[in-house]
Amino acid sequence: MLINNEFNEQKIQSPLQYIWSIFRNKSIAVMSMWAVVTLIIIIIFCHYIIPYPPSLQHPNMLLLPPYWADGSEQAHLLGTDDLGRDTFSRLLKGVQLTLSGALLITLVISILGIIIGATAALTQGIKASVLHHFLDALLAIPTLLTALILIVLLGMSFENSLLAVSLSLLPQFIRGIYICIESELNKQYLIALRLDGATNIRLLRFGILPNIIEPLVTLLNRSFTMAILEITTLGFLGFGANMEEIELGVLISQNLDLVYLSPYLVLFPGLAIFIIIIIFNVFSEGIRHAVIEGEE
Amino acid sequence: MFNYFIRRFYLLTITAFILTLLAFIIEHWTAHSDINDNMIFHYWDYMLAIMQGEFGYSTIDNQPIIRVGLIAFASTLELCFFAFILAGLVGIPLGLFAGLKRNGGIDYCIMTLALIGLALPVFWVAILFTMLPNMGGWLMPIDGNISSIYEVPVVTGFLFIDSLLVSDKYQLDAFLNHLIHIILPSSVLAIFLISEIIRLTRHAVTMVMRTNYIKAAHAKGLTRSQVVYRHVLKNATPPIVHQLRLQISTIISFAMTIEIVFSYQGAGMWLFDSIQQGDYIALSTAILIISGFILLSTILVDLFLVIISPTIRKSFYADQ
Amino acid sequence: MALLDIRNLSIDIVTAQGKIRVIDKATLNIVEGTIHGLVGETGSGKSLIAKAILGLHNENWIVTADRMFLDHIDLQKLSSKERRKIMGTEIAIIFQNPRSYLDPSKKIYEQMCEVLPKSMTKKRLFNTVASHKNQKRVIKELLHKVGVQNDQEVINSYASELPEGICQKVMIAMAIANNPRLLIADEPTTSMEVVTQAQIFRLLFKLNQLHNTTILLLSNNFGSISNLSDYISLIYCGQTVESGSYKQIIKSPMHPYTQAMIKTILEFDDNVEHKSQLYTLPGSIPSVNQLPIGCRLGPRCPKAQKKCVLNPEAVNYKGHIIRCHFPTLGEK
Repeated sequence: MLINNEFNEQKIQSPLQYIWSIFRNKSIAVMSMWAVVTLIIIIIFCHYIIPYPPSLQHPNMLLLPPYWADGSEQAHLLGTDDLGRDTFSRLLKGVQLTLSGALLITLVISILGIIIGATAALTQGIKASVLHHFLDALLAIPTLLTALILIVLLGMSFENSLLAVSLSLLPQFIRGIYICIESELNKQYLIALRLDGATNIRLLRFGILPNIIEPLVTLLNRSFTMAILEITTLGFLGFGANMEEIELGVLISQNLDLVYLSPYLVLFPGLAIFIIIIIFNVFSEGIRHAVIEGEE
Repeated sequence: MFNYFIRRFYLLTITAFILTLLAFIIEHWTAHSDINDNMIFHYWDYMLAIMQGEFGYSTIDNQPIIRVGLIAFASTLELCFFAFILAGLVGIPLGLFAGLKRNGGIDYCIMTLALIGLALPVFWVAILFTMLPNMGGWLMPIDGNISSIYEVPVVTGFLFIDSLLVSDKYQLDAFLNHLIHIILPSSVLAIFLISEIIRLTRHAVTMVMRTNYIKAAHAKGLTRSQVVYRHVLKNATPPIVHQLRLQISTIISFAMTIEIVFSYQGAGMWLFDSIQQGDYIALSTAILIISGFILLSTILVDLFLVIISPTIRKSFYADQ
Repeated sequence: MALLDIRNLSIDIVTAQGKIRVIDKATLNIVEGTIHGLVGETGSGKSLIAKAILGLHNENWIVTADRMFLDHIDLQKLSSKERRKIMGTEIAIIFQNPRSYLDPSKKIYEQMCEVLPKSMTKKRLFNTVASHKNQKRVIKELLHKVGVQNDQEVINSYASELPEGICQKVMIAMAIANNPRLLIADEPTTSMEVVTQAQIFRLLFKLNQLHNTTILLLSNNFGSISNLSDYISLIYCGQTVESGSYKQIIKSPMHPYTQAMIKTILEFDDNVEHKSQLYTLPGSIPSVNQLPIGCRLGPRCPKAQKKCVLNPEAVNYKGHIIRCHFPTLGEK
């Protein structure tokens, strides 16, 4: 039983196509991709999706349970809170704010991190050395502490909490990128590229970046996860978004007093955070596996 | 090897210097807004004060801030340590199992658990855990480190030890009371740690299982358990420990969050209270305490790695 | 008498692009007490055959064979426990890049203890000191046997501290600790200096002569092993092309590929013309996922005709097995 029994003139796929063809075959990965797309749609069109304005109060419908429990209203899918505000609308609003904040942070620190990390790895001498020691010092401070300090210095607001979270996550990201590039630089093909007289930019663009996709995805995912966790933690502790801004952490802390009365109000925002993180984790795992298999 | 540690120590002092600089800037920024004076003189004074152990006094209760901070951080460390033991007991066997049975059903189950554990927001889990005793009908305290009926004088700062020191007064009651208090917060922290340890162990074990010497060990006719005990464990430990070392600051971050939910008197609660009451001097002290601890632990872990792993030892010789 | 008898061994590897047949009906017949050379270019699948014999294959390999017997043991039907039992005692293997096959975090001594006969390493309640001494003595003897002089230093070092040649000798010492009947040497001398190569080959030859160990010698260099082996099989892209005794192969090669290989051996006594090109087959080895149909040598073969798009069957001429539609049968 010969397998190669006809002329199989295969087209040689570009690496991206190849990775995509592997990715497409994994049902979980594709599902997570659609889930990510859905989340992004929620971010953009949140205003049109939500059934009620998030701060609209229904005075005669307080503390309704979600639709599957007894005594619920069909109109309020996930129930209402103590002021009669629709939980579902508030949840989506919270997802919008938290997720867009986290995505923004991830974008900013990935750009800054790659630039700074590459500078540290590709230059020698005093610039790299100063950067290095400074990073070492920053890495020794727990991220929550950094964020708290920055919040205290800058004042409490949602924008400042975003700034604080991104600054506190930046050192870890830079360190990750730095290690990747450093280990990549020792490889033979990069030495060859160097001997060809490639400039640092060219070295980075054609030699290093295509080969660090896999660790980069892991790093990005990690930063994103930590960003969500920290934004919500700061919100929960009352250092981030104020009470008018609807953010998942704030939602939890607002409803903390009602936890025995209506546990759903605390349960849902937490679940939302959890689901967002899981979706992005699975998505990045899918990409990572596709990249690894593509390389083999 | 000795040279290496001298060098490490030298790098450590530079990092510590930068940290004091940061702490100074923060203190300066929060305390006085007049920056007209000569900054370098100020810094010099600050350093002198720190060298003499004068970190200033808390504006809340006029206690020396360093003492308050150290006691609080000792509680945090206790929490981390306890959680770490819990997590190690569960996480390492599970990770090993997943790594050995890679891509099997068990592996997927364990990895799904780990994925869930890493995605759970810590403070939310902590809230759920505070509700557990109520729902399960257990008699379990959900706030504080120890019941206020016990008067435990601070000797070491570690309540486990301190409560044992007063055992002539309360027998083991104080100790057990503290133990009950610490179980819930540390299990929340352990959920995160277990997932992390599973992930790291699985990765390390798979990497080792792919190497040639494991193939050679199979070719020698060793049984599976012999291969694991003799070759896999020893070679998988250093990368796991190394990676965990990088996670220390994250672990402390999480521990601080958990403390605030459980109002456990540790560094997190201390900072939270201080910030709420405008006692910002705590921030710069906290940086020095926590970061100092992390830096020191980094060096100790390195030392430990060198002791257990000949390959890392070897790479040091090559550096010189 | 055949010690190892493999007929129509095929290996498929499952990849993202479907199954790829990397070894196609390889047939191997190793006579007891001989050195059998298995020659093929890099990537032709020699190591795969060796690993399939040992059962060290990964999960995504599908190994099928009509017959795979080591003496009277059916290698295909072994449970992992039975296989473990014959590993070391019946079959042993030495690898290329020996250093990577030694555990980097253990001393050579501990690793050598693992391979000593079971009776010797059994923990006794009494006289552990004596058995310890006994182990040391045996290890010392083994190392001396393979030509390691400074045995004390070697057993107290880690693999990363030893040169590649010593590592290979240690590997050989570990392989012969239980006097296996079949020793598979998987390109034992790649990336070694010529002097060390000669030492290793001499060692293998001596083992064969003194202990009557059967050796399956895998190599990509026809010249270096051809004068060592009693029997030679050539393999090209996972197909055995020709197999026979040393005399048959060297004196009367029938397959065009063998002829080409023999021509590539440099012979300095001939007058090689100044600046003349050395002989090679045109073209290069096709990659595994784009193999030609039929006879895989087809596109490169000087004698190829239309019929070669069909896979040739193996033909046996007095123990000289060949797989070609147009063999050179001049001397017969």
